[in-house]
Amino acid sequence: MRAAVLAVLAILSIPRAGSGEDVMVFAAASLADALEEIARGYEQASGNKVVLNVGASSDLSRQIQAGAAADLFFSADRAQMDVLEKAGLVRGADRGELLSNVLVVVVPAAASTRIAVPADLTQMRRIALADPEAVPAGVYARTWLESIGLWPALRDRVIPTLNVRAALAAVESGNVDAGIVYRTDAALSRRVRVAFTVPPESGPRIVYVVAPLAASRKAAARDLARRLAGDEARAVFEKYGFRVLAPR
Amino acid sequence: MIEVRVEVPLGAADLRVEAGLPPAVTAVMGPSGAGKTSLLQAIAGLRRARGRITCGDAVFLDTERGVDVAPEQRRVGYVPQDAGLFPHLTALGNVRFGARGDQAQVETAIDTLDLRPLLDRRPATLSGGEKQRVALARALATSPRILLLDEPLAALDVELKERVLPYLMRIRDELRVPMLYVTHNVGEALALAGHVLLLRERRVEAQGRPLDLLSSPGLSVEAAAGIENLLPGRVVAHDAIGGVSRVELKGGIPLSVPLAAARPVGAPVMVAIRAEDVLVSSGPVKGLSARNVYEARVEALERTGADVTLRCALPAAPAPWLARVTPAAVEALALKAGQPVWLAVKSHSIRLL
Amino acid sequence: MLSRDEVEVVLFTLGVAALSTILIFPLGLGAALALSRYRGPGKGLIETLLSLPLILPPTAVGLLLLEAFSLRSPLGSWLAARGIEIVFTWKAVVLATGVMSFPLLVRSARTAFEEVDPQLVGLARTLGCGPAAAFFRVTLPLAGRGVLAGTVLAFARALGEFGATVMVAGNIPGRTRTLALAIFHDNQVGRDDRAAVLAGVTAALAFVALWTTEALTRRLRRRAEA
Repeated sequence: MRAAVLAVLAILSIPRAGSGEDVMVFAAASLADALEEIARGYEQASGNKVVLNVGASSDLSRQIQAGAAADLFFSADRAQMDVLEKAGLVRGADRGELLSNVLVVVVPAAASTRIAVPADLTQMRRIALADPEAVPAGVYARTWLESIGLWPALRDRVIPTLNVRAALAAVESGNVDAGIVYRTDAALSRRVRVAFTVPPESGPRIVYVVAPLAASRKAAARDLARRLAGDEARAVFEKYGFRVLAPR
Repeated sequence: MIEVRVEVPLGAADLRVEAGLPPAVTAVMGPSGAGKTSLLQAIAGLRRARGRITCGDAVFLDTERGVDVAPEQRRVGYVPQDAGLFPHLTALGNVRFGARGDQAQVETAIDTLDLRPLLDRRPATLSGGEKQRVALARALATSPRILLLDEPLAALDVELKERVLPYLMRIRDELRVPMLYVTHNVGEALALAGHVLLLRERRVEAQGRPLDLLSSPGLSVEAAAGIENLLPGRVVAHDAIGGVSRVELKGGIPLSVPLAAARPVGAPVMVAIRAEDVLVSSGPVKGLSARNVYEARVEALERTGADVTLRCALPAAPAPWLARVTPAAVEALALKAGQPVWLAVKSHSIRLL
Repeated sequence: MLSRDEVEVVLFTLGVAALSTILIFPLGLGAALALSRYRGPGKGLIETLLSLPLILPPTAVGLLLLEAFSLRSPLGSWLAARGIEIVFTWKAVVLATGVMSFPLLVRSARTAFEEVDPQLVGLARTLGCGPAAAFFRVTLPLAGRGVLAGTVLAFARALGEFGATVMVAGNIPGRTRTLALAIFHDNQVGRDDRAAVLAGVTAALAFVALWTTEALTRRLRRRAEA
């Protein structure tokens, strides 16, 4: 028995080939695929390992506040980054506003729903949104609907989901009539169809912010943060449909 | 008349019984495992069987015609060995259970079994004998066609046995309910039954009148410890000063029993004498304190457990008397069939039922 | 102390738990009775299948239910055609809580039924009871304590159900948000103080439920032994 425990510990402590640092990245769900690709490239180049934890930015920020050992936080809105800055977990000077996105209304691919104008949404019985109380994608959607006066009519039809990818999945399953997600999410799924695109000018200002955690002493964290702002990463983000913001 | 022609599947060997039983009391006897309980269960409808079972003009089972009446419709009263009272009901609740509102039947049953003082009690607080009486009343309250009793007195000690037996006789004589009575006890069989069905290894070994069957050696009847001699008779006189009452048994045999002034002269009684309380002498006895001495002849000797039971015929007695002695005694007295002996019984060994 | 919305959540949770327990009660007793009597082949397999929700992660059970009742599934579309929607409605909450608490009822009831002396049931039959009457007049009263304990256990489990519920019913305020889901949501949006209050309410409800069982069980035992 003791031998077995020792063996397991020995195996766990074997440094991996290309022994570098582990960078723990907490990122918004909508960034999952793009970051996967960028991370792979980074790992090969640097010999460091990237651990990606994706989810609702509000959920991740809460985890970080509760003590989760993140090195980098990539939020889908400023609000969640503000929370961390106010808590002293992130330094203002370290923040970088990298990306923007566009909201779209998606419907199941097989459905023949037509949404010519936003008011057509009132025809939908169930609309999936990432939780409009806190998750950036949901907050953006609500802000938009409020700004065009449709929120009171639609709020009772909203099915709140854990994050934006869950909203997408709900539409894919056909259990809801429509969902509001990012254009980048819709592009990844063949089982949904974009029925309406929220014009960026009339929609809410979507800003993705990245920052290393102040507590993280890893050089690799800042290294990765810089790389995310670099040209290679920019190309990947654009490929997935994100709008890259002009560098500061 | 109860006709039974059945095959009861019982694991290794099926029980096969073919018997026509008279409508009074039939004792079902035989060694353990012979199938006695299973037979009762088959008649009650609690066990699968193939064949034909009729009770009077009611058909319970007729496999050929596809008849298999459910237990709740057969109207049989079943009393198992441990009474099987419902623990969540009082004695009254138990008795009333199957009566379907027939208050008259319930009252009769309660009175027949003297249950008035026990009605509010829960089964857990009742003695073995009281439980059996409640179980009997419960069965009777449903006006059953027939009572199926599975060794009802087996779990009781001798004293309790003697107290409950009269109730069974009352049921037989006053209420006239036919009974199938499983027992190991020869005395009970002799006291109650007009017919005996002997089972052995899942087959009928013999059936007939109790006296005929139980007197012939070689049949696998176990005489369990208990009352083996049950002798009907009449109270003749009371002798308060002498401390005895005199009883005349059927056949004119006189018997001195402890004073039982409560019994009116002329009243019929059942006298109970344990086989082990019957003393056997190879010659006439003189100067013995025992008041009751009789000449008899040994009809048969039977090994019963560690002892030997002698069947002794008394002149004029309708049934043989059973005496139990040790094998050493048999040897010492050189007892054998046909031998004349003298039987002695102390008054104190005699109980009046 | 509690906002109007929160009171609604509490009442909704109690209502859903009660409804789901009432619905699984006859099914659970039936299954328990059948299991206690059945001695044929496959008994072990059936018992294991019925107990699966106890051991599977609730989210796995929730996923199964979602697949089974999704509007795309045969069952889901059949129901939808008749105007019955399950997924993302309170019916899904009842379904999820019912499925998760069902094994608890069955196990307790089955043990209780097995402890009833079959001879007593047979005697009831000879005394004129059909199978149903024998069940209600003998088996059920004698198994009462176990059945009651199983029912309250099922109710308490239904009160606290989360994993399966969140998957098949979603966390929709005013429609499917139970106490457990509300606690999760409050924590998600940074309202830990409200989450703590609701957690306290859940604990109080569970306490009352279990305390009542104990008291009732004790009273039943005293009556049986009187």
